[in-house]
Amino acid sequence: MHGVKRLRLTPQAAETKRLKELSKIESYLAIEQDVLSRKRVKDYSDEALGRTTRLLDLNPEFYTIWNYRRTILLSLFPSLSPEDITSHLISDLRLTTSYLLVHPKVYWIWNHRKWCLESVPHGPGESQKWREDFWKGELKLIEKMLEADARNFHAWDYRRYVLSSLPLARPKTEELKYTQTKIEANFSNFSAWHCRTKVLSAIWAERNATPEEVKKAKDKEFELVTQALWTDPGDQSGWLYHRWLVGQEPPLDTLRREIRNIQDLHEAEPESKWCVNALAHYTLLLARHPSTGEDEAMRLRGEAKRLFTILEKVDPHRRARHRDMAAQCT
Amino acid sequence: MASSSSVVPKLNIPLHVKYIQNLDKKQDLAYHLTSHLRLNGIYWGLTALCIMGQHSALDREGVIEYTISCWDEEAGTFGPHPGHDGHILATLSAIQIMVIEDALDRVDIERVTKFLHSLINPDGAVSGDQWGESDTRFSYILLQSLALLGKLDTLSPETRENITQNIKGCMNFDGGFGTTPGAESHSGQVWVCTAALSILDREDLIDKDLLGAWLSERQLPNGGLNGRPEKLEDVCYSWWCAASLSIIGRLHWIDRDKLIAFILGAQDLEDGGIADRPGDWVDVFHTVFGVAGLSLLGYPGLQDIDPVYCMPAGLIASLGLRKPYITLPRLSSYPPPS
Repeated sequence: MHGVKRLRLTPQAAETKRLKELSKIESYLAIEQDVLSRKRVKDYSDEALGRTTRLLDLNPEFYTIWNYRRTILLSLFPSLSPEDITSHLISDLRLTTSYLLVHPKVYWIWNHRKWCLESVPHGPGESQKWREDFWKGELKLIEKMLEADARNFHAWDYRRYVLSSLPLARPKTEELKYTQTKIEANFSNFSAWHCRTKVLSAIWAERNATPEEVKKAKDKEFELVTQALWTDPGDQSGWLYHRWLVGQEPPLDTLRREIRNIQDLHEAEPESKWCVNALAHYTLLLARHPSTGEDEAMRLRGEAKRLFTILEKVDPHRRARHRDMAAQCT
Repeated sequence: MASSSSVVPKLNIPLHVKYIQNLDKKQDLAYHLTSHLRLNGIYWGLTALCIMGQHSALDREGVIEYTISCWDEEAGTFGPHPGHDGHILATLSAIQIMVIEDALDRVDIERVTKFLHSLINPDGAVSGDQWGESDTRFSYILLQSLALLGKLDTLSPETRENITQNIKGCMNFDGGFGTTPGAESHSGQVWVCTAALSILDREDLIDKDLLGAWLSERQLPNGGLNGRPEKLEDVCYSWWCAASLSIIGRLHWIDRDKLIAFILGAQDLEDGGIADRPGDWVDVFHTVFGVAGLSLLGYPGLQDIDPVYCMPAGLIASLGLRKPYITLPRLSSYPPPS
């Protein structure tokens, strides 16, 4: 049970609640028993399908019933026209939409949706129109779900799945635009930042981007993330994204520029442990850079060590980590 | 926070034992609506009892009989409740229960092994059942199930490698892991992936400093841990994060006393059980992961828990399945002497 406040009931109130629930329990158990016994005798009729809807209305987490429902549909489909199959699938998608709005984190409902989409027949006629229409409609639903909860990882996973399954692939730059909208609505939406790391990597791989092209694209990203960092330097999301942009082997000028920028931010926000944390890490990266001479590297490691020692004080929950990191600086 | 930490309650073991023993007695609507989690619930309750040193508080024969009654003959494995379909989630719980109760001889090990093998996809992803949904949770469950059944060697080197590469493909730049390739890092998935790689003896694939830093940043000022950046704390993440940190040898990177105080504050001290956070309704899921977290952190008077399997550590060691990990030394008293 997540996030439901505990209430103390008086014994009388508890008894009233129990009695009120009794009839609900009774009708739930009756429908459950009916559906499970139909399942046992392999009743794949329309009537059985209707009974599964009634049970799922009461308990959309009952995955065995979703399985049974699919088994019924699969047994009905061979005798149905493609139009009738499509209309069954439309009504199942409607059903799952209504459940998802109430239970946005139930795996089994999302799974049934995938099955529906994957079961759409070709048509009408020789065309692919049904499949295209079905898949396109999905993005609208996901956007609605992500408006309700911008961090729902089920919805983000499903979005990735839908985008990779669209009969007509959408340009990846569209997804870049979408994540930008989500990020600009709330810099704290790490799910959107994460998605951006994946989309950009995919775009660069697809285009066979040269290091110069990647650098240019990253410079624009640095501008975006710098806005986020200055807006709230206490938010982890932007810092994580910044770390991804810098990567393992950044160009020297990029690394130096970013260190300077964070030093500026640190001057404006001396209390921010994230500035110190980033500076410590990037200083170590600079020490390890092939163009850095041994004396300079030693000085930089000393500087990183000093920063980790500051972190030990300003970030006491993670004191041991900072101490371990400081010990690696010699 | 500083003033309340001086009045942190202790772990009320007798009350939590009673809470677990009574789980079956309160047959309200919620109880019936969660029958698809019944067998998992027994594993959670039984494991919590083992950690609290009260293994025999549940009737052994009753537990075994019930587990056997969950067998799905058609699927050739266990479902979560009689009449429910077999699934990998219920399968692991059944195996864990039978191993804890030393009753594995009453399980058709060959059929369960066959079921598990049928879930491995050519790309190394693992499905939950015949309907195909795959998730790194299932990769871990498959590996732990095979390990407990003594059947890990039935995986060919190629299959092992495919499963490993699939998990590696779910790793992100922040060192964490997601549900599937491309998905955002999430502490729950981090735990299943680090534990799976540990069972595969492939912890070398994990960047321990990077992942350890990410995990340690899950701790919030109130001491609790969250599952992803900028989300709320929750007792179950005490387990997902702390067990992962333990597997990668970085458990000392979070504030032990603050986390202990947070978990203890989420107890229901009237009716027993632990909630997701202080003041919420309790359930057996948060109860086990709360006490398991406390055990890893060295809370006094608790039995050791194995962070790779979430099973009693002594039992795992006796089966020869122990992997490397570091827990915190067991305290002799709580609050710890300052």
